[in-house]
Amino acid sequence: MFKQIGIVGTGTIGTGIAQLAVLSKIDVQLYDVNDTLLRRSTVRINANLRKMVNLGKLTPEEVQASMERIRTRTSLPDLGHCDFIIESVIEDIRVKKDIFKHLDANTKSTAILASTTSSLSITSIGANTRNPERIAGVHFFYPIETSSLVEVVKGFKTNNETAERIIAFVNLIGKTPIVVKDTPGFIANRVSQPLYSESLRLLGENVANAEQIDRIVKIIGGFPAGPFESMDQMGIDATLAEMQSLFEQSYGEPRLRPHPILKQMVESGWLGKKTNKGFFSYDETNDKEL
Amino acid sequence: MKTNKKKTSKISKRAAKKSNVNKKGTETSFPKGQSKPAPVRIFITGESPLVEQYADVCSEHGYDVYISWNEMPAQKPEFNNHGIKITNIIPANTSLVIELTNIDIFAKKKNLERFDSTLTMSTPIISSSVTVTATEQSLWLSGKHRLVGFAALPMLIQKPLVEIAPTVYSPKETLDVIKLFFRSIGKEIEIVQDRIGMVLPRILCRIINESAFAITEDIASPQDIDTALKLGVKFPLGPFELAEQIGLKQVYAVLSALHTDLQEERYRIAPLLKQLAMTRV
Repeated sequence: MFKQIGIVGTGTIGTGIAQLAVLSKIDVQLYDVNDTLLRRSTVRINANLRKMVNLGKLTPEEVQASMERIRTRTSLPDLGHCDFIIESVIEDIRVKKDIFKHLDANTKSTAILASTTSSLSITSIGANTRNPERIAGVHFFYPIETSSLVEVVKGFKTNNETAERIIAFVNLIGKTPIVVKDTPGFIANRVSQPLYSESLRLLGENVANAEQIDRIVKIIGGFPAGPFESMDQMGIDATLAEMQSLFEQSYGEPRLRPHPILKQMVESGWLGKKTNKGFFSYDETNDKEL
Repeated sequence: MKTNKKKTSKISKRAAKKSNVNKKGTETSFPKGQSKPAPVRIFITGESPLVEQYADVCSEHGYDVYISWNEMPAQKPEFNNHGIKITNIIPANTSLVIELTNIDIFAKKKNLERFDSTLTMSTPIISSSVTVTATEQSLWLSGKHRLVGFAALPMLIQKPLVEIAPTVYSPKETLDVIKLFFRSIGKEIEIVQDRIGMVLPRILCRIINESAFAITEDIASPQDIDTALKLGVKFPLGPFELAEQIGLKQVYAVLSALHTDLQEERYRIAPLLKQLAMTRV
């Protein structure tokens, strides 16, 4: 099992993985481009762990021990001793490929390099690295604290040993791994896509309105949230970006085509809850306006 | 559109008696604790297990239920409620019929034509309209006004809401009766446009279809796909669990109808799904 891992990127997922790792007694080398971002991340982890003390889930001593396992870094070569490095930066293939190129040059050739990408090709991210059999995907779901699934993505050349070691890590941090092939959307995002794309089609064809579709999906379908309130929550722009990525990576598979209404909404600034207007309108407290 | 004002059916009288209908005829609420009226007779026909599921629910809510199937089920069905009568003859004084065929549209048409020739013009017909629109079904009847479509798939009966699709011929009176009937069996209605697949069946069957493509491409195992959807994106059931509950033949029937109706590549059916649907008993 990995005694020390590196995490590149202190966004929500990167910070969340760091928190899970230190709670599982794994040392973390946490990297980002500047100290401000790193400080923000460690403050967030500390605050989350303190909440767990208040809930009786941790002792103050355990919080201290966990925080002491985090070393912050602003230089990628400082991750050189790590046997497992997880990249968690913005969803941009050029940025990710560049990071992997640097990691490849500055880390052990046997270190496993994994990306938390939700939609980009692992094979593509890891192309042109030494030993691509050690490159994989480790797709966590939001919110990372409560979502137990992790998709372990095998690229075209990823070997079984890499996948098995990642599976062991995921199990250790208390999540449920499933192994998937490197295809657009992997499994969860791809197979769940019709929930949103068909709902958009139904709306566009005036079969029912957004509120009705949400109500039907929740009450009859048993889903915890309707597709339109979910898209408002995720952000219409994020929804469109993900659907567009799936569509492009599948070379235009008609089943995965985004609906034009999403583009119109994004261009109009209707991004969902974050702009108080999406498929529904929201008041200042983010509650749906009736 | 000519409005057909028919004699108020027994369903509406029973349900009205049961409901708090004030002197203006406005329904205020559905009352509790009233003693049951005399059983109203319902005839249900179509495919298994839909017929058994609806028969149980209706019988449980005090209806006098008669049923038949297009084809006898391979295994003798067991009912939770006694008193459900199996018959091929539509009994006299039937107040409502429910047609539950999605797969064999020829059989559905025969059933509806039989209702048309046997029942009084005031007897409402509630017919599953996920694979053929309610409007098209109405065209098979001389009494077009009395048919309303609804979304019937195995497993949806347990839910407290049902999708209803009135046709262009459905007067308010027919819709009111249907609404009262569904309320009497513990369900609210959601009125949607009369389209193949309606809302939830279309969404669920597309999800199942996408999963079938994923299996064909060897992306993950069926169990892992179910796990991924439940744990990753909080689906109540995985797509293969859903397919088991709905039945692959039903899923295939909905997707086929969508593909034919919309003529779009996005509704192309996964070959694996087609194969499994054809080989399942």
